[in-house]
Amino acid sequence: MDGGVPLSEMEVARLIDRARRRGCRNQNWVGGDPIPHIPFWLRVLLHEEENTPVFFNTNGYYSLEASALLKGVVDLYKIDFKYGSDRCAERISGVGNYWKVLTRNLKSSKSGGELLIRILVLPGHLECCLGPMLSFIARELGTDTRVNLMDQYAPHWRAAECPELRRRLSREEWERALKMVSDSGLENVIS
Amino acid sequence: MWRLLRPDAVDALDDPRVLSAMPRYARVAKGTLPARFLISRSISADWDPQGSLEELWQVHNRSLSEAESLMRRIDSGGMDSRELNREPRSLLHLKARIGEALMESCVLCERRCGKNRLNGELGLCRVGRETKIHSCFDHMGEEPEVVPSFTVCGS
Repeated sequence: MDGGVPLSEMEVARLIDRARRRGCRNQNWVGGDPIPHIPFWLRVLLHEEENTPVFFNTNGYYSLEASALLKGVVDLYKIDFKYGSDRCAERISGVGNYWKVLTRNLKSSKSGGELLIRILVLPGHLECCLGPMLSFIARELGTDTRVNLMDQYAPHWRAAECPELRRRLSREEWERALKMVSDSGLENVIS
Repeated sequence: MWRLLRPDAVDALDDPRVLSAMPRYARVAKGTLPARFLISRSISADWDPQGSLEELWQVHNRSLSEAESLMRRIDSGGMDSRELNREPRSLLHLKARIGEALMESCVLCERRCGKNRLNGELGLCRVGRETKIHSCFDHMGEEPEVVPSFTVCGS
């Protein structure tokens, strides 16, 4: 993302302190993705005065090193879990090793903090992606894991490059997704 | 005002489904437990400024386990969190120091592009040395337990 104003760590810390005093529940770090900005955020925290929980809003594709830095800092992780197969992740997002990285980080965020998972259901990706994601969550993270299942996918940006992503989710697909959730045993799904 | 926009969020921190998934977060958000960074900022970490990255990690991991046991003591009511002090060289300072070192051949995200962002080179993420603030606002569109959420977009 281009643009933006250079603010000092101290100035950002003051904004966060003020937000907390007017009743915000947390500080929500986003980007793009907040991963490249982790060192900046750590410095901001050095200047904060209020007790404001850290909500780390990420695509989850961060390194082991980043994961170690986040431990003892992040109170609540929100991870966008997008793909259930490396093939889909590679084809749509151009990233390698997706499943291994995401499942590793989901597990460590759950053990070193608390976790909220967001899944945006993609048209045509129920069997290859949604299914494996739901069974991984139920099996490895527990059926009480909080999952926000979203139906509002809309074709934007480079969606036209993937034929199946040129449309919205159909009603039939959304109903099938809800059926998959109830079959998965997950008990804490917002939809 | 936000209570009118998001009536579902008002009692979210007492919702049993929220409490089962994120009990500690709920208490921190209510202000009855300290955020994790406050605990890490209260643990002293004595690292050698000339030390290698590997040595910094060793000190980090030792201090992190100290922070974790302190958090358990606080959470079980065995210590008053108002006693948390602010160490001049804390685990949080060390984390910031290591974070900066990782930008020299950047491995923060799993693409591990290795660009020297500390020198201003752009990583595959298109971010260089500096974080700019693109926008910040009270976000009302997140999950009920999270709103209102002070959202800061770095770019």
